[in-house]
Amino acid sequence: MSKDVCILKLIDVCKSFHNVKVLDGINLEISKGSITGIVGPSGGGKSTLLRCIQGLETIDSGKIEKNGRTGFMFQDFQLFPHMTVLDNLIFAPCIKNKSQREQHIQNAMQILQELGIEKKSHSYPNTLSGGQKQRVALARSLMMNPDILLCDEPTSGLDQSTSDEVASLLKSINNDTGVTILIASHDLDFLKQISQRIIPMTLVENNSCH
Amino acid sequence: MIDILQSARFIATGISVTLEVSAGAFLIGITFGSIFAIARRIRICRPIVTFIVSILRGTPVILQLSIIYFATTWIMKLSIISAGIIAFGINSSAYVSEIFRSGIESLPRGQFEASQTLEIPKFHMWKKIIFPQVFHNMLPALINESISLLKETAIIGIIGGMDITRTAQAIASEHYDYFTPLCIAGVYYYCLTTIIELIGRKIEQRRLYT
Repeated sequence: MSKDVCILKLIDVCKSFHNVKVLDGINLEISKGSITGIVGPSGGGKSTLLRCIQGLETIDSGKIEKNGRTGFMFQDFQLFPHMTVLDNLIFAPCIKNKSQREQHIQNAMQILQELGIEKKSHSYPNTLSGGQKQRVALARSLMMNPDILLCDEPTSGLDQSTSDEVASLLKSINNDTGVTILIASHDLDFLKQISQRIIPMTLVENNSCH
Repeated sequence: MIDILQSARFIATGISVTLEVSAGAFLIGITFGSIFAIARRIRICRPIVTFIVSILRGTPVILQLSIIYFATTWIMKLSIISAGIIAFGINSSAYVSEIFRSGIESLPRGQFEASQTLEIPKFHMWKKIIFPQVFHNMLPALINESISLLKETAIIGIIGGMDITRTAQAIASEHYDYFTPLCIAGVYYYCLTTIIELIGRKIEQRRLYT
C-alpha cells in the first residue's frame, strides 16, 4: 500500500473555548500507514486537535477530511470500570453484530494475546497497572478496526520502560495492520522513537502545523 | 400495666403496612426519579421537571399525602395504602432525581466520550455503561433515602394507616402509657433500618469490581 495516499486532511481548522483560541488555522495532511507525532507544551491544543478529528469537539471553522474510520485512545484510558477487560473489548462490536459474539471474543483474545495481556481478560480495569490499562485501551480501539488511530498522550503517567513498551507496541501494530497512527504527546523522546514525522504545535496565537 | 409481649405483638402488625408503603414508594421514587433525572438533561423538558421537583421538595409530605388522599376523591377513591405509596413515592422521586443527577454528574465525561468513540448507541450507553456506574456511585445515597422513606411513612397515621407508629399510639392511648409502646415502635424501626443498611452494604461489597 502506498504511504503517500492522504488519509486525513485538515484545512484551516479553528477552535476556541470561551473566546480563547486554541486552534488557529491548522493545516495538516497525514499519509496512509504513517506514524505522526504532534508535540507541544501543555495547553498547546494537541488534545483538542485530536478531539476535533475524532468529532468529540465541533470545530468553529475549517474542514476535516477523513478517508476512513478513526479510533481514539484517551489519555486516562476511559475503560468501563464495571466490565471485565474482555467485556470492555467486545461490548461495542457485539452491539453491532450480536450474532457474531463468539467471533468477537476470538478476535479480542487474539488481540490481547498479541499485546501480552490475555491472562487479564477476566480482570476488572481497576486491578490493572497503568501499562496494562494502556494496552487494554489500545486493544479496545483496535477491536473497532480503525484506519486511523488517534492516541492522546499514550505515555502520560507511565514509567520509562513501560513507555518504551508502548512505543514498540504501536510500531508493531502499525507494521502488522498498516493502521495510520497520530500521536499527541509532550514527550519528544517517545515521539522520536516511534514517529516518521513530528509536528510541533506552539502555544497561543498561531497554532499552525504544516 | 401494659403487657409488653402483647403490645409488641400488636405493634408488629403495623410492620407489614410500613414495609408495604415504603417498598412501594421506593420503587415509584426510583422509577420517577430516574425519569426526572434523564428528562432534566433534555432541554425542552428541563424547566417543567425542575418546576415539578421544586414543588415536591418545597412542600411538606404531609400536605402532599393529604391532597392525594382527601382532595382527589372526585377523581377516584384511593385506599390508604395506595395513597401512601403514591404520595411518599412521588415525594421521594424528587430527592432520588437529585441523587441520580449528582450520580450522573460525578461520572467522568470521558465515559460518555468513550461510548461515543466506540459508536455505542445512546440507549445501550445509558443502559449498560452509564446507569450501572451511576447506580454504584449513588448506592449509599439511595440507602439513605430508603431509610428516610421508611421512617417518613409514619406520617401515614394521619389518614388512618395502621403502621408501626399508629399501632403504638393506639395501644398508648388505650392504656395511658406512652413510653413502652413508643419504645417498642422505636426498636422495630431501628431493626428495619439496620436490616436495610446491612443489605445495602452487602450490595456495595458485591459491586466493587475487583
